[in-house]
Amino acid sequence: MPLIELKSVSKIYPLGNQQVVAVEDLSLQIEAGEFTVLAGPSGSGKTTLLNMIGCLDRPSNGEVWLDAEEVGQADSKTLSQIRLNKIGFIFQSFNLVPVLTAAENAEFTMMLMGIGKKQRRQRIVDLFAQLGLQGLEDRKPNDLSGGQQQRVAIARAMAAEPAVVLADEPTASLDTQTSEELLALMKELNREQGTTFIFSSHDPLVISHAQRVVSLRDGRLESDR
Amino acid sequence: MLWQLALRNIWRNRRRTLLTLSAMVISSALLILCLGVFSGMLKDMLASATEQYFGHLVISAKGYQDDRDMFANFPADLDLPALRHPQVTGYSPRLRSFGLLSFANNSAPVELLGIRPQHEQQVTSLQDHLQSGRYLREEERNGAVIGAGLAKRLAVQPGDELVFVTQAADGSIGNDLLQVSGIFSTGDQGHDNSLVLVPLGWLQQLLVLPGKLHEISLRVEQPRQAAILAGQLTGGMPPELEVLDWGQMLPEMKEVVASYDVSRMIIVTILYIATGLGILNTFFMSVLERTREFGVLMAVGMRPGQIRLMVLLETLAMGLISLIFGVGLGVLLSLYMAFVGIDLSGSLTPITYAGGTILPRLHAVLETANILVPAVVLLLVCLLAGFLPANRAARMQPVVAIREE
Repeated sequence: MPLIELKSVSKIYPLGNQQVVAVEDLSLQIEAGEFTVLAGPSGSGKTTLLNMIGCLDRPSNGEVWLDAEEVGQADSKTLSQIRLNKIGFIFQSFNLVPVLTAAENAEFTMMLMGIGKKQRRQRIVDLFAQLGLQGLEDRKPNDLSGGQQQRVAIARAMAAEPAVVLADEPTASLDTQTSEELLALMKELNREQGTTFIFSSHDPLVISHAQRVVSLRDGRLESDR
Repeated sequence: MLWQLALRNIWRNRRRTLLTLSAMVISSALLILCLGVFSGMLKDMLASATEQYFGHLVISAKGYQDDRDMFANFPADLDLPALRHPQVTGYSPRLRSFGLLSFANNSAPVELLGIRPQHEQQVTSLQDHLQSGRYLREEERNGAVIGAGLAKRLAVQPGDELVFVTQAADGSIGNDLLQVSGIFSTGDQGHDNSLVLVPLGWLQQLLVLPGKLHEISLRVEQPRQAAILAGQLTGGMPPELEVLDWGQMLPEMKEVVASYDVSRMIIVTILYIATGLGILNTFFMSVLERTREFGVLMAVGMRPGQIRLMVLLETLAMGLISLIFGVGLGVLLSLYMAFVGIDLSGSLTPITYAGGTILPRLHAVLETANILVPAVVLLLVCLLAGFLPANRAARMQPVVAIREE
């Protein structure tokens, strides 16, 4: 069974008196361990699709299955629990908590899960070493560069060892070299730890690193290669 | 973890937090001071009425306090268990007469209170209000301590001889000489203009009421509980006597005291509504500014209930910080006002109201309720003011919140 399965999923937003179809009758399967990019121009529906896979949004029609569980119509509390236990998020603008240090940001989800301090610290030491963040543990996000902040965001997403990491335009706020480094790092994590990565991006650099590219246009699946 | 986050969050915008904290600290400190001064004023009023004249409880013949009939008296040698009650800290046997007091060509209607000086000092504090001369002595035969207004009206000073004329119990006209021992000034115009303390034996002789009393005035440990004690003591009284508490003798004063608690809550409510709106504004701003962050926190798995709790903890933390400093400052200000106070006698005169006297001074009394009420209400206001923004934060849809700029 695929890790993620979307069955005839649609998402319709009300906009004044009109209704905007962001995703229309889309079906998709993603296996565990994939490194997939949802590509497409602005307004193609890739972020909406990512939000539904990430349990941040519910489909108007259709079913969303994650790890053999239908999550499309689950209540808020269940969705919170699924996001905490199974999904890691990486955002375009990093979105770290400014009052927490880099290490505290990274171990935040583990704290929410109730993982013990010793185990958390060890995980952070390992992740920070892997992501080249040693020595930056006690810095606040404002004292880090964009690339460093995104590395901390990756550490936060990976810390609780989720089934899937969703990255919404993760390189949009970074320069090419930093983007290249981060993509290489994520690919390495994908390869070594088997974590499934799903990106939404129209950046050719991201697309060039992808194992699978799902192209969207006007909310519909355009190609899958 | 939530406490740690909450504590760090409140210091994100230091200036705004400090301004809000200042408002909370100052309002609670001023409230404590204000209630302390209010209590001080009330205590002064109550003390002026009870500790300068009435006492907290009075034992007298039934109906005597209504018309002060000279014949409504009782023997001084009655064995009254009430005088030995552990709550009773002092008592003073008294005989009362009304008549005319003269000196040279001046005369004035007066109230004479026959007392035993050592007993009277256990109940009232006129000995502390002497303007000149001295208090009565136990062995003194015909000394008199008179009010300052009366002394001025008669133009007398200590050492002068006065003539007192009244009707005695046997129908004869009683008159005798008194010598001014001292002059008191309490600020209560009623007493200062007409009250004269004289030896009990001298007045009993003049009124032809040997061994008789009109009342026994009592001082008790807890004046506010005097009514309850009066009820307890009445049981052991001879049927012709009654025990009245100060509230029955001064019903207006009782009303003033009863209305004090209501007034206090009104003041607390008004001040804290203003403070609460300030806190509400601060936290709404703080929550609005962090909409995107709340979205991210929910995206990474934080439950709405945890978000709500975190914001409430922030308001609670603000409340606790302002409570510590507010109560500290309030107590310090109240202590200053309790031990030093502000003397207004240069610009104000005493005001007699509801049987008590409001002295021309600002003076505070530290009472537990005056600290506890503002403290508890401040915390409640913080939590209430924090609830709306906390609820807003918790009800956000993560996907919408993350999109907020």
